[in-house]
Amino acid sequence: MSGRRLAMLVAVLAVAGAVAWSALPRPETQTERVDRIASQLRCVVCQGLSVRDSPSETARQMRAVVSQRVGEGRTDRQIFDEFRDAYGDWIILSPPLLGWTGLIWLVPVAALLLGLLLAVRWIRAGPPPPKADPSPADLAMLRERAAREEALD
Amino acid sequence: MTWADLGASALRAALPIAIWGCGAAVYAVARRDGRALASARWATVLVLAFIGLAVFAMEGALLSHDFSILYVAQNNARETPLFFTAISLWAGLAGSILLWALVLAGATAYVAWRGTRDLPRLATTALAILLGMSVFFLLIMTTPVADPFTRADPVPANGLGPNPLLQNHPLMALHPPLLYLGYVLFSVPFAYAIASLILGEAGDRWLVATRRFALVSWGLLGLGIVVGSWWSYAVLGWGGYWAWDPVENAALMPWLVATAYLHSVMVEEKRRLLRTWNLALVVATFALTILGTFLTRSGVVNSVHSFTQSAIGPVLLGYLAAIVVLSVGLILWRMPRLAEAEGIGAPLSREAIFLVQNVVFVAATVTVLLGTLYPVFAEALTGAQLSIGRPYFDRVEVPLALALLFLMGVGPQLPWHGASRATLERQFTAPILAAAAGAAVALAAGLDGAFTVLTYALAFFVAATVVQEFARGVRARGTLHGEPPAVAFVNLLRRSGRRYGGYVVHLGIVVVALAIATSQAATIQVEQTLSPGGSMTAGPYTITFGALRDAAEPQRDLVYADLTVTGNGVQENVRPALAFYPNATQAIGSPGIAPGPREDVYTILSAYDTRGSSWATIRVLVMPLVSWLWIGGGIVGIGALIAALPQPKRRPVAQRAGALPAEAEGARM
Repeated sequence: MSGRRLAMLVAVLAVAGAVAWSALPRPETQTERVDRIASQLRCVVCQGLSVRDSPSETARQMRAVVSQRVGEGRTDRQIFDEFRDAYGDWIILSPPLLGWTGLIWLVPVAALLLGLLLAVRWIRAGPPPPKADPSPADLAMLRERAAREEALD
Repeated sequence: MTWADLGASALRAALPIAIWGCGAAVYAVARRDGRALASARWATVLVLAFIGLAVFAMEGALLSHDFSILYVAQNNARETPLFFTAISLWAGLAGSILLWALVLAGATAYVAWRGTRDLPRLATTALAILLGMSVFFLLIMTTPVADPFTRADPVPANGLGPNPLLQNHPLMALHPPLLYLGYVLFSVPFAYAIASLILGEAGDRWLVATRRFALVSWGLLGLGIVVGSWWSYAVLGWGGYWAWDPVENAALMPWLVATAYLHSVMVEEKRRLLRTWNLALVVATFALTILGTFLTRSGVVNSVHSFTQSAIGPVLLGYLAAIVVLSVGLILWRMPRLAEAEGIGAPLSREAIFLVQNVVFVAATVTVLLGTLYPVFAEALTGAQLSIGRPYFDRVEVPLALALLFLMGVGPQLPWHGASRATLERQFTAPILAAAAGAAVALAAGLDGAFTVLTYALAFFVAATVVQEFARGVRARGTLHGEPPAVAFVNLLRRSGRRYGGYVVHLGIVVVALAIATSQAATIQVEQTLSPGGSMTAGPYTITFGALRDAAEPQRDLVYADLTVTGNGVQENVRPALAFYPNATQAIGSPGIAPGPREDVYTILSAYDTRGSSWATIRVLVMPLVSWLWIGGGIVGIGALIAALPQPKRRPVAQRAGALPAEAEGARM
């Protein structure tokens, strides 16, 4: 293996390692947990802002409730359920995976996979790009283009 | 004659002329009649002049506070400052449509006089389509659907004034017109594409002729989005710049598809592939601009019920449906003529990466569309209300955005028609090493989260590809023409603007990506209630609360907190405020921002003692690199401009080709 390839391999491994390391789960502080839950709840008086993001008085009160429940040691699920019971599904900004709303999680993934499948098939199909003997006219044109591109490349 | 009479008459005069022009253009194509074309050309001038006159009348009415016009009464007040009075033209629906029609008329006149000279048949057909669109807009403006000159009855003594959010910041002068320009200019590529389908042309003439329109439209739309998020950051006072709000999504979707299109265009030009696909992308982009207008203007996203209350909603929806049905029908009808080679045949080629990139862009757009519309459909069909917000969009779109960042580094580094192993090694060594450096920088800066570190790695990867391309170009020009580096650099941008302007755009996107990743990952947020003289800390900064103050302005009352931000070599006064407008029930927050290249200190007055001014609750966000988001947006705009500028004619290289200097070969690695 050449030095260049070795260097590239090491660099790729380093990036992968750094990403993997930063993906390791870390213990969550209480504030972080409140923030995470608040970011999933809709501020009821705002236009689509979360309780974490909104500066409104209502959001502050909702945040206080979340903070209190976290302090009482409730689970995430219990807290979400409490809000859902009070306001309906509308209060959760990220729809559940189960049920009809699962569609909105499924469709993007399906669209991407289907698109990639079709694209890859289409890329592999077809003749390899033209490398046949060019005509003299083509040759002159290619030579001109090569000169032009080399001047810029 | 009142302003209302003048404006309404101008629009009523423009309508028959537009209809005439449309008919004349159709006749000119069908009968190859030059006189009919001349007639259509002059019709576009008259339509532009009359719509211009209507805009003039509306501005006159606004500036003279003529409340006998309902639009003025609803969007203006005597105490509205002059600047915001002038830009109230786009504060409401009817005025926006007027502005839209003006831009469309301008683009149409351009096509009539310039476009038809180069491609008489194709451009004249496109002209008929564009005039048809003008007829549509003139129809809705001369009927109660969106008549900007509807009279107010009774005439109020004073108007309501613009929406408070729209008179809070000068950026409002820029954001809507940029978006409208972007939206409307994309009508031209669309009209040419449809014209090409109608005439049954198999070539890519429509695409080459409108390349610049597509690019300029894309650039303006992108700038409009960035300015909009800047406005959101500086005005809305929640400490963010993008909330995945339906209105934001409406602008983002056409931009995403147009970005895919700008790349796949090159595949058609180079390899005569993707013809049907490009037509589909143009139609999709244009349809999404109409959908965007529909979403923002019909109020459907706030509540399904507001949809039926305005006439504009159903009308725009019908227009959208007609466009989609006709376009798709035309494409299907012409499909046999568009037949092309059966595949790319080279997996490691630029065209292959562009196609994959296109798929990711389309998937990203489908996701935004679905997330935006699903709640509307769910409510309409089942009555159930549900929310799809930032957590959903972040989770789906961030991985897609990272994939695009990666492809942005790979695509331009691969040659057309396929790459050899040696080429791969030559092109990717430096960028891959840079990626490792990027990951190291992220970790050294203490940034957390896999996506953040990956963004840094990919951003450095792409930046290195751009630097490498410029370095090679400069070196080659130096060897070939003996130009010093600075001259060679300028010449690259001037003579090969399309390519190197594109690299500048990529660099701008890298800056934007870094700004977003860093500000999302490392924002510090603190909230505290302070008494006068008290202080709080947020990261390295101390924020001292001086006092609460009142200020009365003609159009609003303000309560603001005098704060001093110190620390990190900064000492700055900021004044987060709450503004009270007579026409708004809630106070409008207005943040106090101490911007800086490293980070912004963003302060919000959340609450205060209404009785004795003895306390105030202050929220402070320390947001790193936010300024670079706007700067990156500016770089993207500059890159688009470089790519769109006409390039100087090349001297014919053929004569010199035989005597290609040997150094040029040597300059290559």
